[in-house]
Amino acid sequence: MANYTLEINNNSYSVDVTPDTPLLWVLRDVLKLYGTKYGCGIAQCGACTVHINGLPMRSCSIPIEKVNGQSIRTIEGLSDTADHPVQLAWEEVDVPQCGYCQSGQIMSAVALLERNPNPSDEEINRAMKGNICRCGTYARIRSAIKTAAKNMES
Amino acid sequence: MKINRRDFLKVSGKVGGGLMISLSLPMYGKIGETTKEGVEIPFNKFISIDPNGEITIMLTKHEMGQGTGTSIPTIIADELDADWNKVKIKQIEYSPDYTWHEMGTTGGSGSISRTWDAVRNAGATAKQLLVQAASQRWNVDAVAMEVSNSFITNLVTGEKLEYGELAEAASKLPVPEEVILKTHEEYVYIGKPIKNRITKEVVSGQSRYGLDMDMPDLVYASIEKCPIYKGKLKSYDDSEARQIEGVLDIFPIGFSDEIKSSLNPTLGYVNEGVVIVAKSTWIAFKARKALIVEWDGLENGARSIESLNADMRALKDAPEHLTMDLGNIGPSFSSTQNETMSMEYDNPYQAHALMEPLNATADYREDKCEIWVGTQDAEQTIGEVAKAMEISTDKVIVHNLKSGGSFGRRYHADTSIEAAFVSRKMQKPVKVIWTREDEVRNDHFQPYLKNYLRAAISPENEVVAIENKAMATVEYVTWTEKWEHYYAFPNIRCHRSMVPTVLHEGAWRSVGEHSAALSKECFIDELALKLNKDPLDYRMELLSREVDWGDPKDFPDWAVDFMIPRKKLLRERQVEVLSYAKKHGLWNKTTEPGKGIGFAMANFGPTVCAEIAEVSMDEEFGFKVDKVTAIVHCGMVINPHIGKGQIEGSIIWALSAVKYGGMEVENGKVQRSNFHDNKVLRMDELPEIEVIFIESQERPCGLGEPGTPPLAPAVLNAIYDASGLRVRKIPVLEEDLNTFFNSVAMT
Repeated sequence: MANYTLEINNNSYSVDVTPDTPLLWVLRDVLKLYGTKYGCGIAQCGACTVHINGLPMRSCSIPIEKVNGQSIRTIEGLSDTADHPVQLAWEEVDVPQCGYCQSGQIMSAVALLERNPNPSDEEINRAMKGNICRCGTYARIRSAIKTAAKNMES
Repeated sequence: MKINRRDFLKVSGKVGGGLMISLSLPMYGKIGETTKEGVEIPFNKFISIDPNGEITIMLTKHEMGQGTGTSIPTIIADELDADWNKVKIKQIEYSPDYTWHEMGTTGGSGSISRTWDAVRNAGATAKQLLVQAASQRWNVDAVAMEVSNSFITNLVTGEKLEYGELAEAASKLPVPEEVILKTHEEYVYIGKPIKNRITKEVVSGQSRYGLDMDMPDLVYASIEKCPIYKGKLKSYDDSEARQIEGVLDIFPIGFSDEIKSSLNPTLGYVNEGVVIVAKSTWIAFKARKALIVEWDGLENGARSIESLNADMRALKDAPEHLTMDLGNIGPSFSSTQNETMSMEYDNPYQAHALMEPLNATADYREDKCEIWVGTQDAEQTIGEVAKAMEISTDKVIVHNLKSGGSFGRRYHADTSIEAAFVSRKMQKPVKVIWTREDEVRNDHFQPYLKNYLRAAISPENEVVAIENKAMATVEYVTWTEKWEHYYAFPNIRCHRSMVPTVLHEGAWRSVGEHSAALSKECFIDELALKLNKDPLDYRMELLSREVDWGDPKDFPDWAVDFMIPRKKLLRERQVEVLSYAKKHGLWNKTTEPGKGIGFAMANFGPTVCAEIAEVSMDEEFGFKVDKVTAIVHCGMVINPHIGKGQIEGSIIWALSAVKYGGMEVENGKVQRSNFHDNKVLRMDELPEIEVIFIESQERPCGLGEPGTPPLAPAVLNAIYDASGLRVRKIPVLEEDLNTFFNSVAMT
């Protein structure tokens, strides 16, 4: 066990876990931030996507020792009242079916729009193909990303 | 039949004032039926109206992404003329207040169709009681009032009362003898794209699923499971695993033969294995890797997909069970005048790959066992846990949580039994978590189906007889597996043979309909082309005659009443979707090289869905589905937004199976483990999808599954159209299409 200091959603947390513990399980089991989901454990499905220093990363495959002291953002840190433009667009299009993958989808979409405010279909595909949705909400995810892009521009 | 409304509807007051409407909901929605096999069907509390005007609609169905958690309340709110913003939806937990069928099953695309009559009646009754209460208060006739959006207006004086102000008085009135249900034109919410109620919680990251369960003193368990169906744990060495910091206990899981024989072989099946209990999920996962385990695969340990196919082929000429025999196929096939066309089709095992891996949390202390799980069948889960733990069902409490996709897999009680077992041993609350690898390897798969179809074609270029031999692994054989043909050939014979499965099986979105549709709808396409006919015209020609469904004594008693009318309804709907496709120019053959179009049609329950797939041959990916057009006849559409989502989802679900499905099995072991080798469709593979609902005012039928069955045959038929290559199985692999690209390269 070792002590790590994490900067999550602008709060500082101190956790005592083994160095190989993936960030995902620290978020969920230790810090009880359940918005970030477990889907595959091998960075294949995107359900656990968080931002590390602004970049979308799969928290299931990042050992805690690699993120000590770095800035982490989870779905809970996007906004206080679920009013981030991407969250609002998700509501406007009414994307979710079961909803389980959507935290990861939203985190990937936010990261995409932060670096590319007006992505093409091709660019959306490239940024989002790491996020699986078994309910098949892909068309609505794409539409919500475009809605968010439009709303953020105006 | 005159229904006595008091038998299925009850009005009562609430503590602190207010109105409560309770319903007695029998299986298949036959309202007024009050007993089943001598057991009285209890009343379930459904709608409450508080003095402050807040309306709570109890959700007895499991919300798993299908949207009935929004759609059923919409129906109630409409009949009640409630303000949708004042409607709260409460997922209720399994309790004696909510029992019998109502909490039994969420599945079979039946949530709306089975509750349709009862919930409309409940909403309309509540409204009528409120109107009556207003009428008494104002001493005016009901016709002098206007009801809208949770308000009743006195048209004489202009006074207004909100429902909450009348709830208490309404609760003291008797159940009205009769209520008037709305006409189609009067609906306010039904038929409108009302948004899903779970969305806000989901986008804020606050939505909680089974896997998010937490409580004081919770410990985490993960189970190294026998990788072979019906295999046994032989021995294990946990010395290294026990050294891992945070591991709390390690022990085997398994049940005596006596207990096992009492459990439902499908729903109550639990893999033998070694349990790791740890302080965190990660430690439990990690410790599993340090275990050394030996398994005894028993008879399945030597089996594979190849051996399963050999078992099926061996039965080809020894059909076991006749399922449909119309006319006499014998002379048609023995006549030397006739040509025979024979084909073999394969529709293999399919994994679920649910986004939320399977899990359950249990707190088993003293003699009470409390379980938190997302389940499609709380009642079965209670029954199976009680049997496995050898306690009575009243000691088992199931809290039904939202789930991250179910698609048939969460009918099974395995995770709940595991959690109960581990918690009893630990005397602590335990969350059992399956890894993704467990979820793939120990899935309860869509059964394997192989079909041999043959047709006798006369010199007049007509199909005079058809025979379909189904080789099925399916364990849950019921009359619905009866192999039938809805196209009217003069002589039809169908039979089914059973082959023991090598993998555990269960329900998978659209179950037997997906299995059956592939061979039926591909063979009909092959026949049409053989006869030089357009595939749609040929189907229409065959549907112009009615199939003689034979003696209804083949059906179980309870099915007789509706089976023949159901089949008539399906034929009408099949004709309607075909006509729609033709009339609206959706069926456009292309001559562009490497592009093709394919059609297929299937039903799930009374819903008929036709799909037109447009594909391109693509050197990089083999083939690419450019567009799928679905034409759906499901009666009235309660919510076109949610309904469209279900059809889109079903298409994507089935397309994953067409591209990546099936399951390799060697020595009884599933050869895939996670999303890298058990692939599913991703956003960059998404075809354009158009969903058309046939306008209808008929009673609503299901939408969760009907989009799945026609997709595979439509795509296979389109691939033929594009390439001239007839693929008679899924998944479609690169090697199946090589000859096309080789021949293109040569020309």
